[in-house]
Amino acid sequence: MNIRKMFRKMFGSQTGVITLIVITLIILFPVGYSVVSFFSAHTTTEDTQPFLEMPDPIYENCVKETEYMRYHHWELLRTVREEVVRHGKRGEIGLNKCRECHTSRERFCNQCHNATSLYPDCFGCHYYP
Amino acid sequence: MEVDQTTDVNSGNGSPVIIDPDLDFIRIVDKQTGNPFKKCMQCGTCSATCEISPDDRPFPGKEMAWAVWGMKDRLLSDPDVWLCHQCNDCSERCPRTARPGDVLAAIRQVSIAHYSFPRFMGRWLREPQAILLLFGLPVLLLSIALAVKEPIEKALGIGQTVGDNIIYAYSSMFPHWLLISFFLLFTIIPLTIVIAGAVRFWKAMDRASPTKERKGFFPSLLATLDTIVSHNNFTKCKKATSRFWSHGLVFFGFIALCMVTLWIITARINPLIQGDFIYPFAFLSPWKILANLGGAALLAGCFWMMWERFFNSENINPGSYFDWVLIGTLALVVITGFVTEVLHYVRLDPHRHLIYFAHLVFVLGLLLYLPYSKFAHMIYRATAFLFAEYSGRSIRQSNGEVKQSVIQDESSKSGDK
Repeated sequence: MNIRKMFRKMFGSQTGVITLIVITLIILFPVGYSVVSFFSAHTTTEDTQPFLEMPDPIYENCVKETEYMRYHHWELLRTVREEVVRHGKRGEIGLNKCRECHTSRERFCNQCHNATSLYPDCFGCHYYP
Repeated sequence: MEVDQTTDVNSGNGSPVIIDPDLDFIRIVDKQTGNPFKKCMQCGTCSATCEISPDDRPFPGKEMAWAVWGMKDRLLSDPDVWLCHQCNDCSERCPRTARPGDVLAAIRQVSIAHYSFPRFMGRWLREPQAILLLFGLPVLLLSIALAVKEPIEKALGIGQTVGDNIIYAYSSMFPHWLLISFFLLFTIIPLTIVIAGAVRFWKAMDRASPTKERKGFFPSLLATLDTIVSHNNFTKCKKATSRFWSHGLVFFGFIALCMVTLWIITARINPLIQGDFIYPFAFLSPWKILANLGGAALLAGCFWMMWERFFNSENINPGSYFDWVLIGTLALVVITGFVTEVLHYVRLDPHRHLIYFAHLVFVLGLLLYLPYSKFAHMIYRATAFLFAEYSGRSIRQSNGEVKQSVIQDESSKSGDK
């Protein structure tokens, strides 16, 4: 049976059919994209490279535990900034300290920031030491 | 109310029928329509006008008679009440301004309240003075969830350990496990209630159906899906043509957002999600694009509906409170959702958490009142469509061309005057 005829019979007009097909494609596009990217990621063996650059193994732990740092590092940095800028208290924690383990902003910080479309405005003026 | 079901009121065979009107029902319909619908004189203009009414036992003429007589049982077991799309072509032509379209809308509202339980919730959705309760309940439930968050986390030792490849921008307030378990619970409960209501509705229709012949179930299901997805019935309206677009935008926007939601809540078990950060999505991630498009479509559809109700009330019924609760909640869900997204990008604390909380309140409101609000129309209307197809009462059997020619003749005559 002619599929076009069947569709026309089902939906009445041809423009309606085209609109419906376009809408369906738009809605299903992300699924298709995910499937394609899933299989293309498997053919190229990038699995050896971790998403985030690991710090030098001589450093055993961060200033806080990993879970806290993953979600709240920016709160910590903001608190530190307040203390330095407003109260003149320069403590041990700072970007300099971060730099010791996480040497590259590109390979560490920006990996997550880019993945979630977050562009912190700190580094517009300040350089990552 | 006692109606002798063995005799057909429409048959006109002269057999006596005892009618005991349900006065409460009449009062509710009267209040909801805001218009004395008892002015109806049964001329049948509405049934003749309706483009989507079947030729055999057409609506809304007979529903008007039943409503005037207070025959609630018949109306609640009648699929035709739900076949109506309230284009108000009939109300426009009604010589007594009884507004049959609005009456059918009010009957649908009574129907939703009738088939849902607990019953008092139906009253909440009907009466504007209950609006604080209406949104207070989701606020209370979410507050309880936030209050029990830490004790449960401590007891189970779960915390924020959500895997290596997931970060949640808003998780410091509402962690992923709580979000999923909480909203899953409050999706399953209302869905169970509304499906139970739809089953009772189906049984009532089956009992009351004058014809006992039935078509195949799956062909009927396909035809129903076709009717729902293609929005064909909206195109047949003569006056309220915009609703084809506004309802279409809301419908497909909602489906897009449902797809994204399903994708996110299956993140932990979805084999396709691997290796990459999956949430929050980057702005140009296909899922984020779909979500933003869906939200924009939903919002545009809602605003379009509101605009028509405000400024085009000649063609489109301004709508009852019941109607506005759904449009308002949907619009607020999308608006707070977009603001949450923007505040995520600008990292504004603690405002973003407040807006996010409001977003969750409206989402919960939408889900929680699914069986009681106009939102239930998606289940009941689909059930009625399905039953109409299943019992051979297809809308498309109607000879629309004949009716259209009659209307054109009439309009050309009135143009001559």
